[in-house]
Amino acid sequence: MSRFFKQAGDSDSDSDESEELMSSGDEAPLAKSTTGGKPAMSRFLRTAGSDSDSSDSDSDSDEESDSDSDAPKPKKAGLPLRSDSEDSETEEEDRQGIRIMSAQEKRLAEMEGTGKAMENALKINDWVSISNEFDKLARMIQRQHNVSEPIPPFYIKTLLSLESALTSAIAKEKEAKKKMNATNAKALNSMKQKVRKASKEYEQDIAKYQADPEGFEREYTALVTREAPATTSVTRTTGGIIDSDGNDGFQPVGKGGRTMLLTAEGIFKSLQSVQEARGKKNTDRGEQIKILEKLLELATTTYQRIRVLLALISSRFDYNSSASSHMPTELWVSAQNEVDQLVAIVASNPDYIVQETTEDYDDLAERSPATEKGGIVRIRGSIISFIDRLDDEFTRSLQNIDPHGTEYVERLKDEKTLYSTICRAQAFYEQTKQDDPLSRVIMRRLEHIYSKPDAVIQALESSAESADVKPYITLASKGSTSGLIHSLCVHLYRSGNSLHRTRAMLSHIYHYALLNDFHTARDMLLMSHLQESIHSADVATQILYNRTVVQLGLCAFRSGLIKESQATLLDIFTTQRVKELLAQGVHQQRYQVLTPEQEKAEKQRQLPFHMHINTELLEAAFLVSSMLVEIPLLASIDSEELKRKAISKPFRRLLDFADRQVFTGPPESTRDHIMQASKALQDGEWERCRDLIQSIKIWSLMPEAASVKEMLAKRIQEQGLRTYLFTYAPHYNTLSLSLLAQTFSLPLRSVTSIVSKMIWNEELAASLDQAGGCIAFHRTEVTRQQQLALTIAEKVNAMAEQNEKALDAKSGSSGGWGDRADGKTGEKRGEQVQERRGRGDRTRGGSRGGARGRGARFAQGLGNRMGHTSQRAG
Amino acid sequence: MQFLHTKDCNKKHRQSWIVIENPDVAQALRQDKNQNLQYLKDNYNLTLDQITALYNYGKFQYSYGNYSGAADYLYHFRVLSTDPDLTISAQWGKLASDILTGKWDVALEELNSLREAIDSRTPAPFASVSSSTNNTPAVDPALSQLHSRTWLVHWSLFVYFNHPQGRALLLETFLSPTYLNTIQTSCPWILRYVAAAAIISSPTPTSKSSAPQSSRVKNAVREVVKVIQMENYQYTDPVTAFLTQLHVEFDFEAAQKELQKAEKVVSDDFFLGDFHDEFLESARCLVSEAHCRIHQRIDIGDLSDRLNLPRDEGEKWIVNLIRETRMGQDAKIDLEKNLIQISRPPQPVYQSVIEKTRGLAIRTQALGAAIARSGAAAAQTAPQSVEPVAVS
Repeated sequence: MSRFFKQAGDSDSDSDESEELMSSGDEAPLAKSTTGGKPAMSRFLRTAGSDSDSSDSDSDSDEESDSDSDAPKPKKAGLPLRSDSEDSETEEEDRQGIRIMSAQEKRLAEMEGTGKAMENALKINDWVSISNEFDKLARMIQRQHNVSEPIPPFYIKTLLSLESALTSAIAKEKEAKKKMNATNAKALNSMKQKVRKASKEYEQDIAKYQADPEGFEREYTALVTREAPATTSVTRTTGGIIDSDGNDGFQPVGKGGRTMLLTAEGIFKSLQSVQEARGKKNTDRGEQIKILEKLLELATTTYQRIRVLLALISSRFDYNSSASSHMPTELWVSAQNEVDQLVAIVASNPDYIVQETTEDYDDLAERSPATEKGGIVRIRGSIISFIDRLDDEFTRSLQNIDPHGTEYVERLKDEKTLYSTICRAQAFYEQTKQDDPLSRVIMRRLEHIYSKPDAVIQALESSAESADVKPYITLASKGSTSGLIHSLCVHLYRSGNSLHRTRAMLSHIYHYALLNDFHTARDMLLMSHLQESIHSADVATQILYNRTVVQLGLCAFRSGLIKESQATLLDIFTTQRVKELLAQGVHQQRYQVLTPEQEKAEKQRQLPFHMHINTELLEAAFLVSSMLVEIPLLASIDSEELKRKAISKPFRRLLDFADRQVFTGPPESTRDHIMQASKALQDGEWERCRDLIQSIKIWSLMPEAASVKEMLAKRIQEQGLRTYLFTYAPHYNTLSLSLLAQTFSLPLRSVTSIVSKMIWNEELAASLDQAGGCIAFHRTEVTRQQQLALTIAEKVNAMAEQNEKALDAKSGSSGGWGDRADGKTGEKRGEQVQERRGRGDRTRGGSRGGARGRGARFAQGLGNRMGHTSQRAG
Repeated sequence: MQFLHTKDCNKKHRQSWIVIENPDVAQALRQDKNQNLQYLKDNYNLTLDQITALYNYGKFQYSYGNYSGAADYLYHFRVLSTDPDLTISAQWGKLASDILTGKWDVALEELNSLREAIDSRTPAPFASVSSSTNNTPAVDPALSQLHSRTWLVHWSLFVYFNHPQGRALLLETFLSPTYLNTIQTSCPWILRYVAAAAIISSPTPTSKSSAPQSSRVKNAVREVVKVIQMENYQYTDPVTAFLTQLHVEFDFEAAQKELQKAEKVVSDDFFLGDFHDEFLESARCLVSEAHCRIHQRIDIGDLSDRLNLPRDEGEKWIVNLIRETRMGQDAKIDLEKNLIQISRPPQPVYQSVIEKTRGLAIRTQALGAAIARSGAAAAQTAPQSVEPVAVS
């Protein structure tokens, strides 16, 4: 029978045998019994209907169950080899055992003590204490396992002696029934069970021990002492075996005495066992990954490779169970490589399709286009989710790495490969025309490039370009980065997903703003009407919206549109939570404490550092534009009453604070610079103001800083002139235009133009004398009474307005912006809404007519304001 | 009513035409179109098919060049048809026919009704559109509305620049928020006509228009300047640049240069050609008004230069201007120094208080009325609203 099997069987068993022979070189006497053991084995193999050797462990257990009928000999003979190699394997794998060597002696002594106690109990036939002692011993052995140390031969010895004692005890029991009390009998029975279980577990060791007690002990001591030469020699032999096996990998993975043979034929089985172990508590994830890696090497057919890759990638993602920590970089890189491989395989084999939902199929069967109906193999899995996950993990690792270290930079370099993976996936989805994943993948791609300057996009694109498969939309085909982004966005606009549309729109706007195309960006933002619906969007989209708006404000600043910039940035600065709104830092809550979950969610939301918009630069831009708007306005107002109306509250607050300062030292921070510059501007010292503003260091972070500074200088000259006129007009009767031109080093023409504008807008009570080339002021002094009359008229006006608003709010027909916003947001973001309401109330206290309470809702307020400036929002 | 029978003129339309011509029928027709249809079917055996034939025949007449005939057919079709798309199409056809026949009053009426029809289709906001449409941006209602409005804006130029009241109406229409949006979004070049219309219809001393102008028309120049300023990044031409220089930059020299260019542009323009003189006159008025408001003493020679007039003529023109406008009492010409002296006494404080409180009483009354209408729920706010009256 065994002969026949061998002849008909595969080469496996042969090589297996030869390997057995080799490894059991020092157990030469056993060679004969090895062949003797074969018949039993082969019989089981046949009855199990599997010709794979990886099922050996199964057949072993089968064998074991039959062990009563079978002679113990074959068992002994067939198995020692494996345990042999297993031992060396454990040694190879688990070198950490070296560390705890000192503790080993102690444990051994402990075990021996237990053994002694058992022997003593055996003498007096006290099965209860035997049972207890045995339990103790079993625990110790378990511990031994946990530190991955070999089973001491002592344990095996004890097991064997227990087994024999048991059989004799039971035999005795049968003869003399009265001799034992109930508890003792119970203990005996349970002992019988335990011993059987234990001996089953360690049957290999037992068998080996029985075969050659000295050899076993020798081996054990060799292992325990772990002399380096011995280790290497053992390793070498094992390595030699594997080498000689060729592609037929022989990787027993043992834990708890179980071994696993990985072969090409057994892939599906191994895969299944790995998948079954997935998610279980005691599963060693690292080991799972190792198994799968080995399997991948073995996989020969496309189907196998796809299956193994799918399992491998997901187990890599499983590696980190906690949501807070990030995936180790090496794992990420290999996962990324494997996704690439997977995409390449699936892309080059159109007969194989990976789908999220498929018909049920046999996990264990090999499949190929020939066997499937329609010639297409459908495999369950989702490539897009891998890509999503890969991208998310990348972001998460960036969130967790210290952005100021070199590690961050190193990690950031991986973005290139990630980007090309995404591009590859895009190409694949384009090829297979899967719209939904395609738009998801395009969204991912867009998110990698929308906020980046040209040079970075070009670098990313060049890496994608060098790949073998290219997506339809590339930088080369579109010519420019904005062309690329435009076509990506257009693709997303066409897709049905409204979230993608919104995000694409915002990214597109952001990109335009980055390119200083303020008008296009603003028009897109206003025409999308996003500011009306953004409050119902998810948090990530709201963050993107805030980023977009802020970038728009910076864009306006760079383009010299000071007023627009101020209006755009005002809302976010009124909240005083810039960092939080941009997801660039967690806000310190003063009155409420975040729950750990909220804090965690907040942390996960944070953008990686390289995506940040520099808040200091942002603040500088906002304060400078506020200064340019606010200071002339402040100068133009003469009554105290009106002075309380501020266009920019945050700026006003700082200015008031600076005013109260008794002594002002030389400016240090950006704010100091701006505050002193504001004062200089108020005093008409535009040159000093200019110098102060231009000496702010943070400007260097702004692209085209030189031209921005130049623009600022020009604005400062103009606004300085205006401020000067407002402030000092009462002291002059006439003022020569040429003198003004000289003082503010502006051309006469623009001085005339500015003055004319002020006269025309009735900001300045004066007129030009063309003949004399001067401004003639006709100022009228307002008496106290008249001033009060004017004030009361204004107040009455405000009151009427208030009433109208109140009525609007009551009737709620059209002007229900407040209700709508509050109603919509609902409980979803309860905490945020509360915040917002709180702020709303605070601002409502102010007396700013048109925009009361609007600053509270950043996005909404902005929309309205922008609407005022452009009349387009409606 | 004569019309030409051709081989295309089939029985169907003839029958319906006869029916419609019947005065009894005209009297029997009511507002409700469905009811009308039923009536015609019951009494005259007129089917929907035959009515549609009217549309087709009207279209044929239009292609054939008989615009007045086409206008008639399409008018009747519109009265009877219930198909919204065809009705709109018929309206466009009718407008085209009216424009081509030069009946500006009728065309204006048609234009207004078409405008209402277009505006009544409310577009869905961006968010809901995006969630509801599935990969068919072509039929986006907001987009098609924008298209219709853009076309309407262009076609209406024919009407507005030919109808006697046209310029004022143009300003009324184009400066309304929706159409302003349309212009800004899809056709900024229309701004030239808006600007020109604003300049032309700005009050000049020579053209004492008796018709009272709405506030929008009066303030048209100011509004247009704002829009031009905003759209400066995507559209400029000499006409708009003239306004920018004059009212944004207050650079009279540059404005003068732009005016020279604008003059040429206006005389060459299809729509504006007829208004060349009016345009120039109004533009000069605007320049001199701005000049006088800003300056205290003006050199006449200089002003004449700014107005693109030779000195003698300029002096005459200015004298006329001073005589005919309210500036008369403030402005004095000093011939010796060749200067205009303008003395403008500052507004007394009491005047400005009156100005400020003028509208309050009416506003509060309106408020009160609104509250009375909205009923008991809003009654709580009523006592507050009385207060301002008492104070003022």
